[in-house]
Amino acid sequence: MRLRRGTLWLGGLIVIVLALPLIVTSHFAIDIFIRVLLFAFIGVAWNLMGGYAKQLSLGHAAYFGLGAYTSTILLIRFDVSPWIGMLAGGIVATLASLPIGALCFRLRGPYFAISTIATAQVLMLLFLKFRDFAWGAEGTTMPNLGNAPLMMQFDAKSAYYYIALGMLALGLVITYAIERSWMGYYLVAVGEDEDAAEAIGVNAMRIKRQIYMISAFLTGMAGTFYVQYIYFIDPQTAFSFNISVEAALVSIVGGIGTLWGPVVGTVLLEATSALLQSWFGSSHGGVQLTVYSLILITVILWRPSGLLGVFTDAYERVVHAGRAHAREPTLDG
Amino acid sequence: MLVTVAQAVVNGLLIGGIYALVSIGVTLIFGVVKIVNFAQGEFVMIGMYISYFLATYLGIDPLASLIVAMPLLFVVGVLLQHFLIRRVLGLGDMPQIFLTFALSLLLINVTLLLFTANYRTVQTSYTETSIHLGEVYVPVAKLIAFIVAMVLSGALWVFLHATDLGKAMRAAAQNPDVAMLMGINPDRVFCVAVGVSLALAGAAGCLLMPFYPAYPLVGQVFVLMAFVAVVFGTLGNVTGALIASLMMGVAESLGVQFVGADSGLIVVFMMLLLTLAFRPSGLFGGWTR
Repeated sequence: MRLRRGTLWLGGLIVIVLALPLIVTSHFAIDIFIRVLLFAFIGVAWNLMGGYAKQLSLGHAAYFGLGAYTSTILLIRFDVSPWIGMLAGGIVATLASLPIGALCFRLRGPYFAISTIATAQVLMLLFLKFRDFAWGAEGTTMPNLGNAPLMMQFDAKSAYYYIALGMLALGLVITYAIERSWMGYYLVAVGEDEDAAEAIGVNAMRIKRQIYMISAFLTGMAGTFYVQYIYFIDPQTAFSFNISVEAALVSIVGGIGTLWGPVVGTVLLEATSALLQSWFGSSHGGVQLTVYSLILITVILWRPSGLLGVFTDAYERVVHAGRAHAREPTLDG
Repeated sequence: MLVTVAQAVVNGLLIGGIYALVSIGVTLIFGVVKIVNFAQGEFVMIGMYISYFLATYLGIDPLASLIVAMPLLFVVGVLLQHFLIRRVLGLGDMPQIFLTFALSLLLINVTLLLFTANYRTVQTSYTETSIHLGEVYVPVAKLIAFIVAMVLSGALWVFLHATDLGKAMRAAAQNPDVAMLMGINPDRVFCVAVGVSLALAGAAGCLLMPFYPAYPLVGQVFVLMAFVAVVFGTLGNVTGALIASLMMGVAESLGVQFVGADSGLIVVFMMLLLTLAFRPSGLFGGWTR
């Protein structure tokens, strides 16, 4: 019964998200949907690290940027399709996560977070210096090839929507599979208490390294997609600290260490952001982050396990209340 | 060549004094309360704005505004500990990191909304003057800032080692449970630690104002330096943070002088990554704690 209801919900959700671009055709709305899907995907990637293994990274922009630059350099310098570039970007991000992880995993908790900020910043500063090779501070625009699906360029915005949707689905499937494997249990054990996990024979370093690689790969893919979507790249965009922050933020607001947490968090935050933008216009730069930080403080003090739990609790209460109500007459009779 | 090096070292040491005030604050909170205050830089920024408004509207010298900013930020620190930080202690890494992180975002963006992103500066009689030591220039404003920063750091050392409250704080830092058995009230000690730490950040802001512009993101510059200094000088070690800050000021300044104007941060972050690679417990990890 429980399982069937879950499947029903999931089926309904899939139908809705697949049909959404057919029903809603406004460019503004589709743009918001694409942002939601993309940031949910980055959140899902972050959540593997930050949620399950509790390694709270604030430097995922490093992998986002590497993915973005890899595919762009391949596209412009070597005419390689961004589809291959996306894979290459993921691989470069994965490779970069090895030395970065080797350094940063020496620190725990808050100082791990700080050292990841430092790595993303170093990469940004380096790319600002690579003038000949990566266009330096000015950045570059993507060559416009018209409608070229093989080169990940489309006239229709809905195409980008379906790519982002596919990436998010991939991220969720990977999370689901890991959650149910031995790796998921090891990760949770390391996240709960690293020393205790080591004591019972979990190789904490190895498991952290592995999940960091997966998380970096997915984040690198997101980077490629993003620059292909906005047709522009520079170090400030690709390695933006806001990317790192948003990846963590959506997961925390939704619920870290849960499959759907980052998705719920992104929907809530992006909806808030869209509302704020329609009320205040885009001129008030500080409004969005002011509201985000207030939401974050509220969530941490009131519900550190995230808002996903609030919704599932409310849902359970409604369902159970409904069932108890339905049963009442039979009891009387 | 020698003069250039000497000049870079002097510049680095002087700004290192300011870094020291910020990193001592970070390491004090980390040592006693066991959390990292991601918003420490924003309290430097608040110190700067207090100093700016007192100077612009009341004509008070930025150095004199120390007398207002330090007690004010001490009170803010006590309230911060009592109403916010206290509620996440013992809840694990995520709430502890992201509470102060969210606070940092909030303070930056509220400042942005209230005062815009414009740079604000204060001109004092000593802003442009400097002393000549042979061929080396020593800017007066930075020299005063350095001296006051060292005096405040010294005062903190005396406070931690010679007063009952300071000793209680060190005891609570070493072992909160035993400290509690000895009749030390950890809540009170924690409040004082956060208060003192924010007062130091506020002082750093006032000292910066004669020669550094105030803007909403200014705290980020100093807090990143402080984080590196705190890792470099061993977490929770006040003397270590002081020495590391001075070293980093010099390293940054040499980087700017010899590698390029935008290389200061790269040098500093490289120092952090090298420390992590070769001596993860920091320079002073061997013989303290």
